[in-house]
Amino acid sequence: MFTLVPYIVKSLWRHRTRSLLTISGAGVALLVFCFVGSVQHGLFALTENQEAGQTLIVFQENRFCPQSSKLPQDYARTLAKQPGIADVLPIMVFTNNCRASLDAIVFQGMPTDQLKKWREIELESGSWDGFARQDDAALVGHAVAARRNLATGDKFTIGDITVVVAGIFSSSSAAEEGLIYTHLDFLQRARGQSDVGLVTQLEVHLTDGADPDVVAAAIDAEFHAGPVATTTRTKGMFQADTLADLAELIGFIHWLGYACVGLVLSLVATTTVMSVQDRIKEHAVLQTLGFRPFKIFRLVVTESMLLSTIGGGLGVICGMVFLAWSGMSVAAEGVTIAFRPSWDIAIQGAIASVAVGLLAGVAPAWQAARTEIVPALRHA
Amino acid sequence: MSLVELIDVNKEFKSGEETIRPLDGIHLTVEEGDFVSLMGASGSGKSTLLNLVAGIDEVNSGHILVGGTDITQLSRGKLADWRAANVGYVFQTHNLIPVLTAYENVELPLLLLPMSAVERRKRVEVALAAVDLTNRAQHYPRQMSGGQEQRVGIARAIVANPTIVVADEPTGSLDDDTTEQILTLLQRVNHELGMTLLMVTHDADAAARATRILHLERGQLLENGQPIMPRALRTA
Repeated sequence: MFTLVPYIVKSLWRHRTRSLLTISGAGVALLVFCFVGSVQHGLFALTENQEAGQTLIVFQENRFCPQSSKLPQDYARTLAKQPGIADVLPIMVFTNNCRASLDAIVFQGMPTDQLKKWREIELESGSWDGFARQDDAALVGHAVAARRNLATGDKFTIGDITVVVAGIFSSSSAAEEGLIYTHLDFLQRARGQSDVGLVTQLEVHLTDGADPDVVAAAIDAEFHAGPVATTTRTKGMFQADTLADLAELIGFIHWLGYACVGLVLSLVATTTVMSVQDRIKEHAVLQTLGFRPFKIFRLVVTESMLLSTIGGGLGVICGMVFLAWSGMSVAAEGVTIAFRPSWDIAIQGAIASVAVGLLAGVAPAWQAARTEIVPALRHA
Repeated sequence: MSLVELIDVNKEFKSGEETIRPLDGIHLTVEEGDFVSLMGASGSGKSTLLNLVAGIDEVNSGHILVGGTDITQLSRGKLADWRAANVGYVFQTHNLIPVLTAYENVELPLLLLPMSAVERRKRVEVALAAVDLTNRAQHYPRQMSGGQEQRVGIARAIVANPTIVVADEPTGSLDDDTTEQILTLLQRVNHELGMTLLMVTHDADAAARATRILHLERGQLLENGQPIMPRALRTA
């Protein structure tokens, strides 16, 4: 079959406008497929990972936006003594937009030592010392820095908050890279004195073997009669609840991904059918020369797969480059879903391209292989 | 043993309610090295007979033996393999693959045979030299005249050294000078390469170049004005 590659390529080149349009259509469709895949991947990573099930988030009861949840910071000391709890992080959250947004900025203020201990982040530039020394210092996630074109040493303002970039960090968790970390007391005082001694949420790390549901129930029972009642959920459940509306939307748009695959299928199939119909006589000549019907079948399927794979491959590459470059994310109520490229999505896209090419080629290839030679030779 | 033997071959078509039988119990033997021309009126069935011998059409009944193989008994796939190894087909309208160069067109039949790239190149060069088109090897069909295209078609037909070369009105779409060149070339293929040729034509001058001239009339094959009898009757 490799000896026939020049014939296959030249056949596609003969109708290059048609071939290039098909390739570009397949490319755009697979780009969207990758984008949709990365959104779903981001949501899944946020709600289903190991840490999401073994970490609890304590929030003020019946509050949803981080701006409205205000817990006494000393709840952390009370919780630290409870059985099953290894550590408690008091976290102040500030976001410039509580609603779903593609450019929400989320600040998290927490004690520096606990930030180093519990967040898997690595500084790409700047230093921990620089962060520790300066009250208004901030560590900026790689995605935010890329999106806002920030570098270490820059000073920037979001809403009422002005910070100096003490470092840019990357993380194995894509969602982390959409956050900005500051000192807890800085964020508490950033908008006046009213928030001093208050935090938005408490992040509770459990001891090995502790039952998250039992500990969560004990926490809520502890503060039920306190000054501020709480609602405690696993981090995964908290994020899923916070993003419920978005998750529904994301659940719906996965059909868009399937639609893209369907689009490539019909596009490539149409082109291949046209190509076969243009070459009824040519295929009859090949059969006269001794090409077996199955060889004709394979020639047509290979053409179809080439169109789909080249287009899909370009779409996947462009999609991955765009996702890596753009640092896009969507945030709602302080929780960020990051859109990141991944090998999983790239491989799924590549497999979809090849499979669609194969499927799209079968019917026209069958038609070409079943051609009766003599009537086809009379074809104009 | 004859190279080609047709035994009681029948072929019929349906045309509406009417049944047309262009070949009605045909018997024919062709010896190795023969150059046979087949004449007849339009629609007499001469191309049908050629296509049957070339293995691209099916008989309704009867047998066609080529080199001892009864090709009417072969499956579609096996028949394709048989054509690749045994038949060179020269079309009236050349039917070169437009996206391939003259060289690549001639090379096509060899891609189906077990052969090294070096051997393939050698054979293609010899075939192109035989039709005097070495200097046009990298030209595409659209860059050649009708006569040159037909010469490429002949090179493609002979390159695999087939058992038989069939030519369906090979000069039908050419002017007089080019017709003369092509007929001379076919004669050389027969004389110098020793290949067996079966040529359909309605041109008496072209037919005269052959060593045997057959006429197809009302479903019967005639030679020298007499019906061709089955081999058994002839030997008796």
